[in-house]
Amino acid sequence: MSAVTMQLDRMPVVSELNDFDKNSGNLLERLVFNHRLVMMLVCAVATVLLGWVAVTRLSFNASFEKMIPSHHPYIRNYLDNAGELRGLGNSLRVVVENEDGNIFDPKYQDVLKKINDDLFLTRGVDRAWLKSLWTPSVRWTEVTEEGFRGGPVMPDNFDGSPKATAQLKLNIARSGIVGRFVGNDFKSSMIFVPLLAKDPETGKPIDYRDLSRKLDEIRQRYEATPGVKVHLHVIGFAKLVGDLIDGLVKVMSFFGIAALIAMMVIYAYTRCVRSTALVILCSAVAVVWQLGLVAALGFSLDPFSILVPFLIFAIGVSHGAQKMNGIMQDIGRGTHRLVAARYTFRRLFLAGVTALLADAVGFGVLMVIDIPVIKDLALTASVGVAVLIFTNLLLLPVLLSFTGVSPAAAERSLRAEFAEAEGASQGGVWDVLDRFTSRRWAVAALAVAAVLAVGGFAVSRHLKIGDLESGAPELRADSRYNRDNAYVTGNYSLSSDVFAVIVKTPAEGCLKYPTLVEADRLAWALRQVPGVQTTLFLGDAVRQITAGSYEGSPKWLTIARNQDVLNYGAQQASVNNPDLFNNACSVMPVIAYLTDHRAETLNRVVAAAESFAKDHGATDRQYLLAAGSAGIEAATNIVVREADRTMLFYVYGAVIVLCFITFRSWRAVVVAVVPLMLTSILCEALMVALGIGVKVATLPVIALGVGIGVDYALYLLSIQLAQQRAGVPLAQAYRRAVQFTGKVVALVGVTLAAGVVTWAFSPIKFQGDMGILLTFMFLWNMVGALILIPALSHFLLRKAT
Amino acid sequence: MMLQRFCRALVALALFLPASSFAGFTDVLDSPASMSPLAAKGLLNGLALAGKRVVAVGQRGQIVYSDDGGGSWRQAVVPVSSDLVAVSFPTPQQGWAVGHDGVVLHTSDGGATWIRQLDGRRVGQLMMEQLRARAARGELGSTEEADKVIDDANRIAAQGAENPFLDVWFADEHHGFIVGAFNLIFETTDGGQTWISWFERTENPDQLHLYAVRGIGSDVYITGEQGLVLKLDRAANRFRAVTTPYKGTYFGAVGNADAVIVYGLRGNAYRSTDGGANWQSIDTGVPEGITGATTFGRHGLALVSQAGNVLLSRDSGAHFTSYRPAKPVPASAVAVTGDAIVIAGALGVSAQALH
Repeated sequence: MSAVTMQLDRMPVVSELNDFDKNSGNLLERLVFNHRLVMMLVCAVATVLLGWVAVTRLSFNASFEKMIPSHHPYIRNYLDNAGELRGLGNSLRVVVENEDGNIFDPKYQDVLKKINDDLFLTRGVDRAWLKSLWTPSVRWTEVTEEGFRGGPVMPDNFDGSPKATAQLKLNIARSGIVGRFVGNDFKSSMIFVPLLAKDPETGKPIDYRDLSRKLDEIRQRYEATPGVKVHLHVIGFAKLVGDLIDGLVKVMSFFGIAALIAMMVIYAYTRCVRSTALVILCSAVAVVWQLGLVAALGFSLDPFSILVPFLIFAIGVSHGAQKMNGIMQDIGRGTHRLVAARYTFRRLFLAGVTALLADAVGFGVLMVIDIPVIKDLALTASVGVAVLIFTNLLLLPVLLSFTGVSPAAAERSLRAEFAEAEGASQGGVWDVLDRFTSRRWAVAALAVAAVLAVGGFAVSRHLKIGDLESGAPELRADSRYNRDNAYVTGNYSLSSDVFAVIVKTPAEGCLKYPTLVEADRLAWALRQVPGVQTTLFLGDAVRQITAGSYEGSPKWLTIARNQDVLNYGAQQASVNNPDLFNNACSVMPVIAYLTDHRAETLNRVVAAAESFAKDHGATDRQYLLAAGSAGIEAATNIVVREADRTMLFYVYGAVIVLCFITFRSWRAVVVAVVPLMLTSILCEALMVALGIGVKVATLPVIALGVGIGVDYALYLLSIQLAQQRAGVPLAQAYRRAVQFTGKVVALVGVTLAAGVVTWAFSPIKFQGDMGILLTFMFLWNMVGALILIPALSHFLLRKAT
Repeated sequence: MMLQRFCRALVALALFLPASSFAGFTDVLDSPASMSPLAAKGLLNGLALAGKRVVAVGQRGQIVYSDDGGGSWRQAVVPVSSDLVAVSFPTPQQGWAVGHDGVVLHTSDGGATWIRQLDGRRVGQLMMEQLRARAARGELGSTEEADKVIDDANRIAAQGAENPFLDVWFADEHHGFIVGAFNLIFETTDGGQTWISWFERTENPDQLHLYAVRGIGSDVYITGEQGLVLKLDRAANRFRAVTTPYKGTYFGAVGNADAVIVYGLRGNAYRSTDGGANWQSIDTGVPEGITGATTFGRHGLALVSQAGNVLLSRDSGAHFTSYRPAKPVPASAVAVTGDAIVIAGALGVSAQALH
């Protein structure tokens, strides 16, 4: 399987090119090495072309619909009715805070008016529904002897004078907008900015990144207003997506750092500038091709697929380094560089392809997760792995056949090889490892592993599905977006975690008495659930309006049986609360505002809503789950919970089959897989310790960790088994395996970890979580393999089969 | 043949079935109030003292009671889930609650369990039977007068359960009144076993809504829309109109042997010390509606407003002190037990020490 297996096979030293039979080797080898210039030209052209495609056509996207399980019934229900659910649709909340004073400061009102006007003119804003203190749609009403009386909260010709300000104060007091449009502490007010789905001029979907930038511009411009210290807090999906895309671009800049670390690792390993540069170059070419192909296939980069280039690069570097190793040794022995390159190709091509296939398994199983971004991730990663076969298994040896390696490095590598062959000490930890094949050390190692496994398992029982923190889970708790969100949640009444049940009736059905009563029952049932702060639906507005038309008497806060009263209520509601039902009056959300979006809360709400829908659903009145941020998250949690199990099943199934094909021994399969399982358990325990829940972003981690992590066992065990089958006793066989592959294992572990560790600093929280967990898995899998394989072998593989 | 006939019969049967456009809907009159720990935190409109017990009634048929002056609340068993608006306890055991859908409920265990005595499905028929009988006996005056009464009543009766009772007041465990929308009014003298319509015995020619009925001193007052105040003329068995200076809605009346106060829309309240002959305006300082009131002690009066203001008087309404809580909540009703003032409203019931 492994590259290293065949390092043992020596090929004749050929120092003169003329002594080498050009027509030796298989068809592919002849095709590639006898037409090296053509090969390089093709690669160069491909790189330029794909690079051009990548630069010109690759777009960034953080599409909302790609991050949710679009086939789940809840999501289908939501998407089918999304157009009718205005209040739950796309909107922004811009809260303007006066840091040193309150909203009655005339300078504050002046700035607020300007911000209001700027937002009104921003492209993509649904102007008709924009609401703020400065729009006439925010009104006060009061009941008088003659009936309703009312007007805009902002007095006509407001000039900031004490008289006008007093009038504004009075209007706010009788409008009941405190907590909705005015902060509870009167230090801020809100501009509600509904967004259109499509730009009315171009007909194209709204460009969130552009919109988000314009908002930042507005923020910058007005926060610099002299004389009054205003602070803008902007929340809403469009801003979130804008911030996500910005984060995405920032993560891309980490690529350079990852490449630098990889470069240092390779240089430390080879001590040869030429070959280090070549390995990095080929891996970079692989990334360019991958990005170009992704763009050519019509995909765009999202917060998940942006991570693929890192993985491809890291895998490319670790494989490239191995190729380099073989060539160096041949050159060190005096073989001509072209011949050395061909030898390496002969030795390693098949092995390399198999190793890459093992990595592909890790990506491949991700296809079972029914979330578009993850499927895209799996697909683009597969493309990347395929590209690596060209760049690092074909192009790299060809380039090396021209450049060769530095003679000093070649000599050094040869010296090391001789030393290893003579069984000399490699020094440090490497000598300790083969002791794990002895009974005492094996028992101790397994005992420690068992304790870790049991402890880790106990801790991992507390693993939660879903997101555990408040605010936007995609971003970090201390991100500006989440700080803004916390400010808005703290100073305004309604939470941003919204779970809605869609009540669907025939046209005009939503304001029928039975529908409103049933929806009221649903709202009341939801309100019983711990974690539900309050509920809102059309009936609440109708109650208020009914009472209002009876002089405001609270005794009339009821859903009247009289259809005329209900019709009047709905008609009034269509002016003041148009988001509570659609124009046809066939879709009406019952909205529950939640204290948080933790999985337990969501489960409870879903259970209550499902049970109500089951008991009360009728042909003319359906209760469809679910809309709102929390509704979508609930569906995602359900999909993630199922995918978590299936994915583990598939990834371990695939790895076991792969190991069995390679080793042809069930015992060896156990030896290879048990360390991986320990890592998986500890990874889950680590997630508990770090407060990371199982979510869309953490699903790929275990699959990748296991799929790529099995490489270590493949390297080590294939040598060990080969030695054992040749009659070498276990301790010595493992010693040789470590001698030949220990450094490669370390190299692979460190380069992979280097590739992902930079993600930990991403402004996007889930990328950070993935980075930490993958780094842990890559490194711990390495340690687990080096220690547990000998220990398990002591019990299972003492006699090679 | 048999099969064919059977199929035809099935089709015929299907055609005769009512169009079940609202299949699966159980009316609020047929579904008991659901038990909920939030019952004491929802909208509660009616409040009464049953001895030392405080009983509050509200939305969705929810009735809660407290034996510790409003500290903790238990929920009563109620056969309907209609919105309830008022409650009256003439004795610690016997109580009546009324509300939407024409519901009248009765308890004889101090408010823990309730039974239905009347609902809107029967109110109209009951009223019409009685009025027609009276017309037949010539008690409704001339044929023209009788026809007008029957016509007016018929229109209201036809609306069935649409019309609510808005207040209830019992003098003792036998004798009480219930009043509601469109001049609905019934009297009982046997603790609710039978209800006698007083539809034509009110001076309310426009059939305005009757918001409140209350025994004050030795009199019984009704208040309603457009400045309507009625006072019981016991000799004539009629409620006679009383003139007041205000033409807006009076949500209620309160008082004791010394004085009567009517209160309502936009902070309006008027006080009379001569049985309604003369009224003095009370400067409440409240711009919102005054929605609930109670008496306490010998001369104590408490008024609450839609904005959560509390007005207290220790001298039968001659002087009031106004309080505004830090976090005002719209209030609907108020009761005083011992030294605690209990206020019910949009966010349920809460008790605090009487200032």
